[in-house]
Amino acid sequence: MSSTTKPLHELSIAEAGAALRAGEVTATALAQDALARIAALDGALNSFITVTAERALADAAAADAAFKAGTDAGPMQGIPYALKDIYDTAGIRTTCHSKLLVDNVPAADSVVAAKLKAGGGVLLGKLSTHEFALGGPSFDLPFPPARNPWNPEHIPGGSSSGSGAAVAAGLCRMAMGSDTGGSIRGPAAYCGTVGLKPTYGLVSRRGVFPLSYTLDHCGPLSWTVEDSAITMEVIAGHDPLDPASADVPAPDFRSGLDGDVTGLRIALPRHFFAQAEGVSPEVVAAIDKAAALLAKAGAIVEEVTIPDYELFNAVGRVIMFSEAFAIHEKDYRERPLDFGRLTFTRMILGATLSAADLTQAYRLRRELAVAVNHQLLKQYDAILCASALAPAARFDSMSDAFPPNWPIQTMPFNVTGNPAMSMPAGFSASGLPLSVQIVGRPFDEATVLRIGAQIETALALTGLRPATAALRQAA
Amino acid sequence: MSETSAADLKRELEVLLRRAEVAVPADRMDAVLAGYGDLKRLCALLRQPRTAAAEPSNTFSLVTLMKGA
Repeated sequence: MSSTTKPLHELSIAEAGAALRAGEVTATALAQDALARIAALDGALNSFITVTAERALADAAAADAAFKAGTDAGPMQGIPYALKDIYDTAGIRTTCHSKLLVDNVPAADSVVAAKLKAGGGVLLGKLSTHEFALGGPSFDLPFPPARNPWNPEHIPGGSSSGSGAAVAAGLCRMAMGSDTGGSIRGPAAYCGTVGLKPTYGLVSRRGVFPLSYTLDHCGPLSWTVEDSAITMEVIAGHDPLDPASADVPAPDFRSGLDGDVTGLRIALPRHFFAQAEGVSPEVVAAIDKAAALLAKAGAIVEEVTIPDYELFNAVGRVIMFSEAFAIHEKDYRERPLDFGRLTFTRMILGATLSAADLTQAYRLRRELAVAVNHQLLKQYDAILCASALAPAARFDSMSDAFPPNWPIQTMPFNVTGNPAMSMPAGFSASGLPLSVQIVGRPFDEATVLRIGAQIETALALTGLRPATAALRQAA
Repeated sequence: MSETSAADLKRELEVLLRRAEVAVPADRMDAVLAGYGDLKRLCALLRQPRTAAAEPSNTFSLVTLMKGA
């Protein structure tokens, strides 16, 4: 189907951008279509906390005027998008999905929000998250949890839960998420979208509510690999006021979208996911299929071993709980019952850790980063592995046990800081998305996107979208 | 876990929470205790054979610090 005959919500950023520049569609029409779709479907999905309809129409009118005047601010001009509700937005409440910040209205935009605004993007609103990007899915917060568009009885993953649900349901083409232990890649895996956690320091975190300073990453969820590449063009770049920001030239994110993987060396740590607790045979089969497709396309895929997952998990959790509790310590003492139950019972674990625990975690972190980058990625261009180990669980199977009973293997690359992308790799027998994870060298998002583009083309899944009839009825 | 070690674990947790000056409602204590047990298991994994020269990942750097000053 050509872009001109597709429904508006199915146009990718690239397709919508071409149609806008050819005068075949207006930014206002795209915004109105998205707002109508949100009104029709989101009652069943709860992906939005705040819909900024007036702002969207004003942004769209400004984009249309700019096109008319021959001004082009870049590939996001006129494109509707949404932000996880931990990104500060000037004059628009930013709640972190928490009672503690339910009336918080920032005075200034986060850097990412400012870049998307300057790039002519059209802000549709603020998206559900797990409280403070950690606890969830929860029913004791000021807003209900987002649901999975493929089956609303199932979780969408988290913490960028609304971002995954909104993109999968076609409410927007791109939504910003954040990822401290898998919060972009988990929802992407469960909702069947692309989710890119960039290299640590490549996208500014300034103005995004922190969960864990040394593990937090900002990145996009989108329907296609190309749309994540386009978003990265707009949001990446050095920010001298973000202490973790990397002062490196922004890569050419679209340079590998032809998907040519000939001669690329890809490491497959099969033991890492195939022998993991809770892994689904369907996930293993999907990853094996992706590996075979890459080999058929000319890549050299070899099985390798990497350090035990539990070492990465230990480092990530000790650092995350320590840093998170330090951020929220005052509220734990003064307003403990304003946290949701799951956030409270998880984050408080940071109060039990010692300075020696945290220092040992930072020491092991260095060793693991060396093992992945100096030993493995000196010989290989990328790693192919699992993000989610099983399809999305049902809401009614959730408990407040720790760790949560939805196994994913995303934390290792928050620990090392490498770019990592989850993308669709098929469907389970129950009709839920399956996924793979591609990990690259630091600042080599282009190779990750190149491999992703090859898998996307070979599997041809982008035309399959969640059925919306039941969602419309339930909304 | 034996009854004694479970009781010891709970006592240890209560001391740490008291030191941190945070109170846990009774109906949330079981979940916190389960999480604490798992976190202790993970903390043990952090202790690997290494020399004193093995630096942490986040070593203090004035270059990094001054960048955003």
